[in-house]
Amino acid sequence: MSPLFHRRRAQRTSLLALGALSGDEAAAARDHAETCTACAADLARLRRTLELAALEPVRQAEPPLGVPALLARVNAKLDEAASPTSRFPRRAAWLVPAGALAAGLAAFLMLRPSISTPPTAAPVLVAERSVAVSDEMLGRMERTVTREQTARYLDEAQDLLLTVTAPRPCARQTRRVDVEQEAERSRELLARRAMLVGTGGDDVLSVRPVLRDVEYVLREVASLPSCARERDLQAIQREVSRRNLLMKIDLMTRELKG
Amino acid sequence: MGRLARGDREALGPLMERHYRRLYRLALSYLRDPDDALDAVQEIFVKAYQGAARWDGGSEVGPWLTRIAVNHSIDRYRRGRRRLATETPLDEGEGETDPRMSAETPSPERRVLGREVGERIASALRSLPDRQRAVFVLRHYEEMALEDIARALDMSLGTVKSSLHRAVHRMRERLEALR
Repeated sequence: MSPLFHRRRAQRTSLLALGALSGDEAAAARDHAETCTACAADLARLRRTLELAALEPVRQAEPPLGVPALLARVNAKLDEAASPTSRFPRRAAWLVPAGALAAGLAAFLMLRPSISTPPTAAPVLVAERSVAVSDEMLGRMERTVTREQTARYLDEAQDLLLTVTAPRPCARQTRRVDVEQEAERSRELLARRAMLVGTGGDDVLSVRPVLRDVEYVLREVASLPSCARERDLQAIQREVSRRNLLMKIDLMTRELKG
Repeated sequence: MGRLARGDREALGPLMERHYRRLYRLALSYLRDPDDALDAVQEIFVKAYQGAARWDGGSEVGPWLTRIAVNHSIDRYRRGRRRLATETPLDEGEGETDPRMSAETPSPERRVLGREVGERIASALRSLPDRQRAVFVLRHYEEMALEDIARALDMSLGTVKSSLHRAVHRMRERLEALR
């Protein structure tokens, strides 16, 4: 048997294991495997490998955000890109009037009656320079806003987690605790988290594991019924303490606030 | 897609409904981080909207979006790898798999076992060259037809077949120890 023939057979066995052959090709490969011991063994090993690979958790993973929240994020990005001053992100739109002011000042300097020297190109250069500086400044501003928003979100999440540790008894059911407000507040915070932009950036890289943990716990709280079982709440409390979440939030908010 | 090509943003919603989960899992198989994968999907739809005018009306949307997703995920993955080479990340939860990577809540024993298996599979997948990994994920996880994979990745059918063959054998070598 030539090496090329063997390679083709081996490739066909792999494709058969993957269920990627159809009709005649699949039948021919199966017939061959029945008469070739080595190919049959190869097929069995590949099938076991694929069964194992099928346990990959990614296959069942659900996106952490629903379509409406993702759509809002995509639209925000598109608005930003569509803006005529797309180099200046939408989030720092207040600087556009500042730019206009600088341009107006430059125009005034150019057009004002000359007192001692005639107008030169210098004011235009000043305006150009101010735009360049603004660009850099905008980047800094954007990072600052992201850090502030993230810190505020974490602060509020920490408040909520502290409240959850001291629940009130539920008036409607015995041996249950009232977490209606906490669940509602968690849902609000999760919606806020979904709208936090820029947390994928390198700037807040260190905070991402904490954001992830907070989001996980908030989801747990958000899914509780208004009168929850004590043991469900205790499980959440244990999770908070196992992850050292309150301490981590403290450290991260401090870092974010500089 | 026609509406999207004309700049109608309302058309984004239905497109997302149909492809969001699939693209998210595809991105996650490269990036292994739910936040990263979510950011990637967001960028993928931004790119799809911005590039909709260039979409060939005769072709299917699925493979076209898949191509954007694979290219974007590979780029992002490479950037992340470069960044990780120069930085030491903070504690990622004692090396645990993110709970959002799994749709169910298994028992602690199963979780430990699942984590170990998940990590081994992730490591085996990471060992594949980028394009081989894309072919393997699209076939084995997304169950795409070989012709669609070829269209999505702009490869010949023969290249798809040989890539799959190499990928599955490399996966076997890496996962053999688990059996």
